[in-house]
Amino acid sequence: MTYRKTDVLTAACRALAGETISVLGRARRSLAIFGVSVLLVAFLLASPVVLGEYAQQILSQAFLFAIAAVTVDLLWGYTGILTFGQSAFFGIGVYTVAIALAYYVDGTLATAGAIFAAMVGAALAGAAIGWLSFWDRASPIYVAIVTLALPVVFTQIILSGGAYTGSSSGLPIPAPFLSITQWYYIAGGLLLVVTIGAYVFVSSDAGRVMVAIRENEERCRYLGLNTSRFKIRLMAACSAVAAMAGGFYVLFSSVAAHSYGDFVFGTELVVWTALGGRGTLVGPIFGTVGVNYVSAVLGGNLPFIWLLFVGFAFVLSVVYLPQGLVPAIGYGLSASARSIGRLLRQRPETAVAGWRLEPWAAEVPTVVRSGAGVPRQNGVIGATEEVPALEMQDVGMQYGSLVALRGVTLTACRGEVVGIIGPNGAGKTTLLRCIADGRERSAGEVLVNGHSIGRLPPQGCVALGVSRKFQTPNVFDALTVLDCLCVARSYRQPVSAWRRSRTVELPEPALHAVEVSGLMSMLNEQAGHLSHGAKQALELAMVLAQEPTVLLLDEPTAGLTLDERVAIGTVLTELAHGHRLCILLIEHDLDFVRNISTRLVVLHRGEIRLDGPLSETADSELIRSIYVGAAK
Amino acid sequence: MYTIQLFDVITTAGVLYIVALGLLLVYGVLKIINLAHGAFLALGSYAAVIATWLGWNPWSALVIALAVGIAVGAVAEWRVLRRLYVRPLDTILATWGLNIIIVQSITLYFGREIQFAESTITQAVNVGGVTYSLYRLVLLLVAVVLGTLVWLVMRRTQIGIVARAVIMNEELAEALGINTRLVRFVTFCLGAGLASLAGALITPLVSVHPNLGVPWLINAFMLVLVSGMSLGNLALAALILGGAQVLVSSYGNPVLGSLTIVILAVIILRFRTIPT
Repeated sequence: MTYRKTDVLTAACRALAGETISVLGRARRSLAIFGVSVLLVAFLLASPVVLGEYAQQILSQAFLFAIAAVTVDLLWGYTGILTFGQSAFFGIGVYTVAIALAYYVDGTLATAGAIFAAMVGAALAGAAIGWLSFWDRASPIYVAIVTLALPVVFTQIILSGGAYTGSSSGLPIPAPFLSITQWYYIAGGLLLVVTIGAYVFVSSDAGRVMVAIRENEERCRYLGLNTSRFKIRLMAACSAVAAMAGGFYVLFSSVAAHSYGDFVFGTELVVWTALGGRGTLVGPIFGTVGVNYVSAVLGGNLPFIWLLFVGFAFVLSVVYLPQGLVPAIGYGLSASARSIGRLLRQRPETAVAGWRLEPWAAEVPTVVRSGAGVPRQNGVIGATEEVPALEMQDVGMQYGSLVALRGVTLTACRGEVVGIIGPNGAGKTTLLRCIADGRERSAGEVLVNGHSIGRLPPQGCVALGVSRKFQTPNVFDALTVLDCLCVARSYRQPVSAWRRSRTVELPEPALHAVEVSGLMSMLNEQAGHLSHGAKQALELAMVLAQEPTVLLLDEPTAGLTLDERVAIGTVLTELAHGHRLCILLIEHDLDFVRNISTRLVVLHRGEIRLDGPLSETADSELIRSIYVGAAK
Repeated sequence: MYTIQLFDVITTAGVLYIVALGLLLVYGVLKIINLAHGAFLALGSYAAVIATWLGWNPWSALVIALAVGIAVGAVAEWRVLRRLYVRPLDTILATWGLNIIIVQSITLYFGREIQFAESTITQAVNVGGVTYSLYRLVLLLVAVVLGTLVWLVMRRTQIGIVARAVIMNEELAEALGINTRLVRFVTFCLGAGLASLAGALITPLVSVHPNLGVPWLINAFMLVLVSGMSLGNLALAALILGGAQVLVSSYGNPVLGSLTIVILAVIILRFRTIPT
């Protein structure tokens, strides 16, 4: 099935404009990154002029800790994985390099090799932890538990190692002799490289997916994204970077101590990140450097008071400034800049969306253009019309002793709009869940385009052609409309970890939904700020961007005005008849169902009580009696 | 010989049960993970140190600990946690912040070095042909009494029934006119008080320093998550995981033994969904 835009000329113009702007935009992004890096390098090289040796030493240590804090931020601030375990990966770096240098090798090349080995080892450990933590139905608390257990296990292993690991007294190593300023350059340079790399990453398409996972992981899965795999890879990468920082740290301090891999250090990394500002890159760096610098400068009994102060500051920031200090300061500055700008009757250069400094969020020029659908990987789209789009055979669903569905057998073809009606608790939503998630049903078989969904998770069902729209609007609140659409498309195009696309190719039906609902003029709006109706339309467009053959809609008109209902009704009719989609629709509004359905299915107490063309069923006595409550 | 191990298993389970009880109460009713639990344990232990300094009867430490725990818990709930119930993941952070504040305050006053506290019972008794620490047996009894008390409070008293209503359906409880705010306040105070009491009770078994709570916190946390929200399950989890810890430590490697609870809990939770 290919979608053809009638107005070819318009499409071509749009595409051309899109390309031009995106080339310019891309160049601007790399230019800015390059410019900022040059500035920072110059700053780093020049700073020893004013900094004393002691300050340089403290800062070198803080810079290496900050690298670990940045990895905490990537996992927690951006992706929503609260981790107390980055210290263990830092510790893996510390001890791999320390043991290698203390017993086995020496020389620069061998040291580099040891650091590399530490990174590989930490990446493997990180992947293993990810595999353990991110199974599909894991609670977010479980990750916190596993990452909390990890440093405990690590410390115990080190402590039990006796003389080999130095146990509790630490393992001294023959460290390379470098001056303090050299170390300062190395640590600062590493932090710079990691930060710029992290910036490129979070402002890329993959960075967008990270935020989407943080905002609403379930929606991501139902958009066909394998979020578990994504998080495991991210965990592995962050672990490797933390291990690298640890490896350099032990070379710098020349003693490996178990406290660099323990639970307390892991929580400290989280505290610094939270204080500075999670979800920003400068936040954790300022938090780490600030806290470490001050505690090193203070002497005598003051460090304990300082830690007490940090504790108070941390609690206060969690309660009153959950986004941390740096975004709050940034927000204050931009607010004052805006008011000054207003005074001068000029538009401010940058606009900060909300409290979060999302890179490039506000200034990216964007065009949505229609694209002919990318061919499906598994060829399901070419399935002949003879195969029914959806077949359910004797599907049952039980929660404990409660039977939610019993013996449901249903066949639906392309071009049909099947209205599913029934009183509350009849099993309507459960029915949709059993189609969109192979692990839900307790009995029976579901075939989509002739392929059994088996026990596939939601993302597997999406690949077969099923898309589900939730009952309440389910979008990514922190992302812009355009970003939401990009994420919705990203399971079709490989997600780049460094490029940021400024255009999104939408199939014709999704583009149509965007245009009809007026979202085209709101592409840079944050999705969380949209009206209820606009959110519903956005989610519909996101779901249609999957190019489904079976579309599951759970009360798509709930909470909409009459006009919006009529608009959605026309879109749905067009989808079924023009684009030959098979639509299953749950609805309480019987008039709406009568207007757009071709067929009615009545569910009552988990069983199908009536199934037939609209003309035969619409006025059935049964519907009236079930809704009034007279049915047995 | 096996009798000693049997005693070790059940008394270890008793100790773990005492330590985890306050955490379970807070997690069950408030649905928050109280990472300051370890700091409350430390508060209780230092109450015993103070009792020793003042030359009071060692048993008075229990009363001091309970009072201090409830008081600090009340301030913490009133000033901090009350604002965070809508952001559950942030309560983990805030309670860790509380932990830092309490531990650093203790460090400022007492210093980092290990403190001495008078024990309440030092003698050993002869039971079933072996000589065994009387205190550990008393702790077992205390665990049973505390567990029964909490169970009775939850089952038989008005506040317990109200608290259980809040656990089951908070919105409904609120709609029925239950002051959920008060329920939370009382629960957190009780949880903190129980933690502090547990700290005083385990003082003779540990060396008293400001960070003594961390290993206990982690083990208690694992037990509570494994047991869901039930007192009976907690006893079972303490018995099985604590027992495994004792057996691994005595027949295998003590380091592996100290990791047994954590590793087993992570594995159990992988296959058993966490009620949230």
